[in-house]
Amino acid sequence: MRIKQLLALLFAFALVAAACGGDDTSADDSDGGDTESSEGSDSEDGGDGDEGGSSSSGPAVDIDAVLAVDLENCEAPPTGDPIRVGMAMDFSDVVGFVDIPGSQLVPHFADLINCAGGVNGSPVEVRVQEVGDDAALAASELLDWGAHFLIGPPFADFALPILQTTEGNVPLFIAASTEPSLSDAENNSYLVSFDDAGQASAAADYAISQGITRAFVFTEGAGVPYTGVNPDEFIAAFEAGGGEIIAELSYVWAADTDFSAQVEELSGLLEGNEAFFSAALGFQVTALKGQLEAAGFDGITYMGTDALDATGIQVEDNADGVIHTPHIFIEPGDRNDLLLTSYTDTNGEELGSRGFMGLYVDSMLLGLQGIQDCGCTDSEAIGEAVRAIEGFDGFSGEITYAGTNGTPPKAVPIVQVEGGADVLLSK
Amino acid sequence: MTSLLQNLIDGLGQGSIYALLALGVAVIFGVMHLLNFAHGELITVSGYAAVAAFGSNLSWWLVAPLIIVVSIVTSLVIERVAFSRVRGASEFTQLLTSFGIHIIVSAVLIMSVGASVKTFAEPPWIFDRIDVGPLSLEKFDLLVIAVTAVTLAATTWLLQRTTFGLSLRAAAADFDTARLMGVDSDRVIRGAFALSGALAGVAGIFWLMRAGNTDPSAGIDPMLKGVLAALIGGLGSLRGAVLGGLALGVAEVLLRSQLPSSVAVLTDAVVFGLIAFLFIFRPQGLITVQHAERV
Repeated sequence: MRIKQLLALLFAFALVAAACGGDDTSADDSDGGDTESSEGSDSEDGGDGDEGGSSSSGPAVDIDAVLAVDLENCEAPPTGDPIRVGMAMDFSDVVGFVDIPGSQLVPHFADLINCAGGVNGSPVEVRVQEVGDDAALAASELLDWGAHFLIGPPFADFALPILQTTEGNVPLFIAASTEPSLSDAENNSYLVSFDDAGQASAAADYAISQGITRAFVFTEGAGVPYTGVNPDEFIAAFEAGGGEIIAELSYVWAADTDFSAQVEELSGLLEGNEAFFSAALGFQVTALKGQLEAAGFDGITYMGTDALDATGIQVEDNADGVIHTPHIFIEPGDRNDLLLTSYTDTNGEELGSRGFMGLYVDSMLLGLQGIQDCGCTDSEAIGEAVRAIEGFDGFSGEITYAGTNGTPPKAVPIVQVEGGADVLLSK
Repeated sequence: MTSLLQNLIDGLGQGSIYALLALGVAVIFGVMHLLNFAHGELITVSGYAAVAAFGSNLSWWLVAPLIIVVSIVTSLVIERVAFSRVRGASEFTQLLTSFGIHIIVSAVLIMSVGASVKTFAEPPWIFDRIDVGPLSLEKFDLLVIAVTAVTLAATTWLLQRTTFGLSLRAAAADFDTARLMGVDSDRVIRGAFALSGALAGVAGIFWLMRAGNTDPSAGIDPMLKGVLAALIGGLGSLRGAVLGGLALGVAEVLLRSQLPSSVAVLTDAVVFGLIAFLFIFRPQGLITVQHAERV
């Protein structure tokens, strides 16, 4: 009897574990939970530059001036009422690889802003709250603290509860997501990046432009967030461009590395000159590439999404030639490079991620821009101002929310891995 | 027909790794009546050891035995730190303890080395194939099948022909009586965890070779496969664990290959459906064990 009970219990847990994937762990809240950054100095010139934003009232933060400050020699501390930025972040192994470094970098940049005099004399305070198993609670605590706007985690299962908590009254910026359902300007929810349609159609257009007329995709099913939507969008754009999809094959995202069954099926279909597209992670794409090459197909063009940048495709073995769509193409000496270098110089260690980091800082800057534009700290009015932002010049490119549903129409970099680094192909 | 045969061999390769994982689960269940949901953590920790070893420019020839050693040590540490504290507790408490170990290990890894995926180079021959008539076989699959067969034989010999094996089987049959007969319970349990760790280590070598990466939740998938395979085969049966693993691997590959593309995404759902169907008619799994707790 006890064995039967145990079996029943086992299945319950197994189903829960299977349903939850890898999101059943989280970093210690007490360790990474709260980080505040409010030191700084007083100056009224925070918005004098001609970069960092473009809107009705000028940029709230002069990005290049802020990047140039020396934290050892700050202006007098800003004395205005603090601007409070709440970060509800997912530190679990699902997206912790970007949310953890993002939540380290944003307070650092707030320190730089404050060192340069704050935003119109007001210091910027950042509080990081780990969402744990209750994103709504994390959001509530940040709102109770007085956050003027929030930066949320990438996936809808955590970000949507935050949106329900804000009830659309407080701007919510999703830094590292391409999930279309989180783009909802009417409810004050904004993507900072391009969305899945943007990156997948850019990849399809690039393939067509290179004369590729046949393609196959890996998918977890039509309409499945990210892993299915990206292939859906690629197929639509590729076929619209005159291409032919020869196969749609299933796989398990973030898990499968043995693609014997798929290779067997493809071997009767491939001519060897096709494009492959999926939302698979780096190690999955290189595994498939190796298995197809071993089967004699070495002329395939492998294409993927921002997931490849997130999981470090550049350092994978056998990754040369893989094409992907990162959010930011970083070049030595550019703003993003200076931003990351500034963090490293101050903290003595590099962040765990590079390509996504500008998106997190842009999230904060967009909220600050909304405050600057409305000349207020009322969250609903800030939201109104955010919805009207046009031509904001941030770390991740130009961002416009005016006339959109919360997804900025951004350029999508197309890059190719060559010798352990990305080479820009088009933008 | 050729395609089916090809799929069958691919499935046996995949299933052999599951079988090794299931063997480790079965050994612990036999002695402690514990379904060890922390079994996957042995592969997670071993994976990070592999990352460190590759960072020191060690080759796979050296990393492979290191993975086994780390897996055994991790298994013993987990037993000492966690399971020994709840040895007399209910199965439910032990089950929750195993979940707790998984959560703690993941959290510690996220805090100490980060949540990002850590990659390392697969062996250069990992994708090499051998043509046998119309079949194109992966060297990797053939190696896994061979090593699994040898490991199973060695495990059987250990349990049937050594004093330790006799103690282990006696404890599995009736733990209290075995203690009264002079069997050192601590030694038996430590031995079971060491054996389970060794089996997970062998499985981990192939899992990590194929994956070429690890992350804090890398152990979840192998843990689920191992537990499922052990259940399919019949808890407490070593032969059943192997059979369950092979059946699971073959079913996965066959379904993914043979199902129409439009429904192939349902492969895992169909596999779970088949398992549920199996348990309706054979709730004890494929192999009937006289005493479920027997090793």
